[in-house]
Amino acid sequence: MRVDPNYVTNLVSALDGAQAREQQLSNQLSSGVRFNSLSDDPIAAGQNVLLLNQIQRDDSFTQSADLVTGQLQVADSALASVVSQLNQAISLATSANNGTMNTSDVQSIGAQISGILNEVESLANTSYQGQYIFAGGQTSTIPFSTSSATSPAVTSYAGDNDVNYLETPNGQKIQLNVPGDQIFLGASSVFATLNNLVADFSTGSGSNSQAQQDTQALTAALNYVSQQRVTIDNSMTQLTAASGAITTEQTQLTASQTDLMQADLATVATQLSLSQTQSTALESVISELGSGSLFDKLQ
Amino acid sequence: MATINSAVDLITGALQADQSALNIVANNVANANTPGYTQEVANWQENAPVEINGISFGTGVSETGPTSVRDRVLEERLDQQQQAASASSTRLSALDSMQALFAPDSGSSGSTDGDIGSDITQFFDSFSSLEANPTDSSLREQVLSTARSLAGDVSNAAASLDQQRTSLDEEAAGMTNQVNSLTSALAQLNTEIQSTSPDSDAGTLEDERQQDLNQLSQLVGINLITTENNGVSVTTTSGAVLVSESTSYPLTTGSVDGVTHFFLGTEDLTASLAGGGGQLGGYLTARDQDIPQVLSGLDQLAYSISMQVNNLNNTGSDLSGATGTVANPLYIFSQPAAVAGSALAMSVTMTDPSEIAAATQGAGSGDNSNAAALAALASQSVVAGETPSGFYANFVSALGSLVSEVQADNTAQNASATQLQTARDSLSSVNLNDEASLMQQFERSYQAASQVFTLLNTVMTSALNMGVETAVS
Repeated sequence: MRVDPNYVTNLVSALDGAQAREQQLSNQLSSGVRFNSLSDDPIAAGQNVLLLNQIQRDDSFTQSADLVTGQLQVADSALASVVSQLNQAISLATSANNGTMNTSDVQSIGAQISGILNEVESLANTSYQGQYIFAGGQTSTIPFSTSSATSPAVTSYAGDNDVNYLETPNGQKIQLNVPGDQIFLGASSVFATLNNLVADFSTGSGSNSQAQQDTQALTAALNYVSQQRVTIDNSMTQLTAASGAITTEQTQLTASQTDLMQADLATVATQLSLSQTQSTALESVISELGSGSLFDKLQ
Repeated sequence: MATINSAVDLITGALQADQSALNIVANNVANANTPGYTQEVANWQENAPVEINGISFGTGVSETGPTSVRDRVLEERLDQQQQAASASSTRLSALDSMQALFAPDSGSSGSTDGDIGSDITQFFDSFSSLEANPTDSSLREQVLSTARSLAGDVSNAAASLDQQRTSLDEEAAGMTNQVNSLTSALAQLNTEIQSTSPDSDAGTLEDERQQDLNQLSQLVGINLITTENNGVSVTTTSGAVLVSESTSYPLTTGSVDGVTHFFLGTEDLTASLAGGGGQLGGYLTARDQDIPQVLSGLDQLAYSISMQVNNLNNTGSDLSGATGTVANPLYIFSQPAAVAGSALAMSVTMTDPSEIAAATQGAGSGDNSNAAALAALASQSVVAGETPSGFYANFVSALGSLVSEVQADNTAQNASATQLQTARDSLSSVNLNDEASLMQQFERSYQAASQVFTLLNTVMTSALNMGVETAVS
């Protein structure tokens, strides 16, 4: 039976292989990452891309949600102030309508209502970070302006009825604004009613049927504004819920991605120790067997 | 009739035979580490006996020369296996440099630089952020800067691939000189072998020829045909003749479509060489098949993203309310002309962030619907039937699988080649233990023969003296 006299060469290539394996395992230990190149685990590499994509999308949404929450809160507090102003206007108008006031008192109530109208107009022209939030899509132009050329005065709207939505990573659409014309110039128009009341009380005669009609219209307008406010509140609630859900999802995905990519340190350390043992053993074998032949024994 | 003289001649012949056998042992030991050397064994031949008056008398032994111990079939199998192994290892090293361009992102914050997957995500996320406040200039600037990262990384990857292709091309072209010198050496050896030993193994010349064939098979995939008079014809694996008897046909190179092609005479061999094995086969497979495949994936990604984003942006309204026109299109990326080459050419041409059309056409500047539509591209099947991230994930998986497959092939082929090498070495390599024992054996038989010679000398002395003591001693 013939034997390969060069078998030591084969042992050396096995030693090379063992040392290469040691190096790879040491890399895993030092970087903490299970694989550094695509060929080590191609399917995991593909999954990793998709997981990271989802995690980054969730993270980006959380940041946008914070930005948008501020805007919605400003809109909500503006509308809250409008509601309280309108309540004041209603009580003033009611008191003017009860017939106990004299002309100058009625006229002064008219002036106060005019002041309330100015306040409501400036609330309707609220801006957030330089953009008018009740202007629909025309956020760089001031939406409401009142012209006293006629009596009653007319408040006109320079915006449009565009509605913006924020899309969550799950496909949910959250409404970001309510157009100004919908809130203030809708079926129960706040401005029209206030302008009418101002005109009604400017003559100083209270408790006329027109003023009473307009006062009731004002109550309807206040209810209408409250309803519009609900849309904003709903958006805020949806946003909080979506943020919470997205944060939970992000946490879970991050855990999955970490599991996918992270080296199992216990396994790696064990394999590294085995590899080192093998290297040492091979080195001993090579040094023992690689030397000598029959020639050494012949004299 | 046997005489003392004839006995002396006979023993002298034995001494010569032992001496030449010892020469062969010495030659083996001296060449123990010569690459391609096959061990030689002595051939003992009994000389024809002489018949006189019906009695046959032996005439001794002669050593008729060394025979190399080789198995041609085994050597050919070894060459074939090494051919395959060197092809796959060359291809593997090219593929390793290719996959290093797309190393997986571990997800920690510092490692996302240069990762195309996270560039894609961040680019489309910048449109999602823009939805919250479409007129904000820093959010708009972020869209452009993430676009620049994406375009930069994609075009860098494409440029690196092009560079790799060029260097593979140069390496392949540089091999023709080596191949040609080996084929002309083979032709010469054929001539010598055919003239000196047409019927039997040619010994050292044969060793040399075998060594040249071994080297050639690692460079280029070849097939061997044994011809008459101990000659060897060499063809490529597809049948083009490189060496025929004493003529060798050199490979020439020429540039076709910007890459080097290989010709034998006027026949273009490049496609068949790519599948044929050897280092040249590995280089050509990587250059003509693997790199173009990866590049076309990148091109598809770049083309689809550029076209879709450009078209959507062009049909919206930017911050000043303007929409894209033929004379003045609102393109974020440079509009690609064709799919091929779009990865290398991907770049951001828009410099003014106010030209990003976040609003739909005709709506006010605070409208975000176009920004929402642009962000929604990330979840639509816009790149060859998949979402951008999905396409990139599959692209990366496919590349990894290819490299893993070639790795497995290479390991298997190397293991097989090692086995064949072991088999060949056990047969043909010089085993020092064997040589030592043979040396002992020949030494002893030399000693025995010289003892017999001494004895014969004594007998002859006695004969010369014919019973008289001390006349001759």
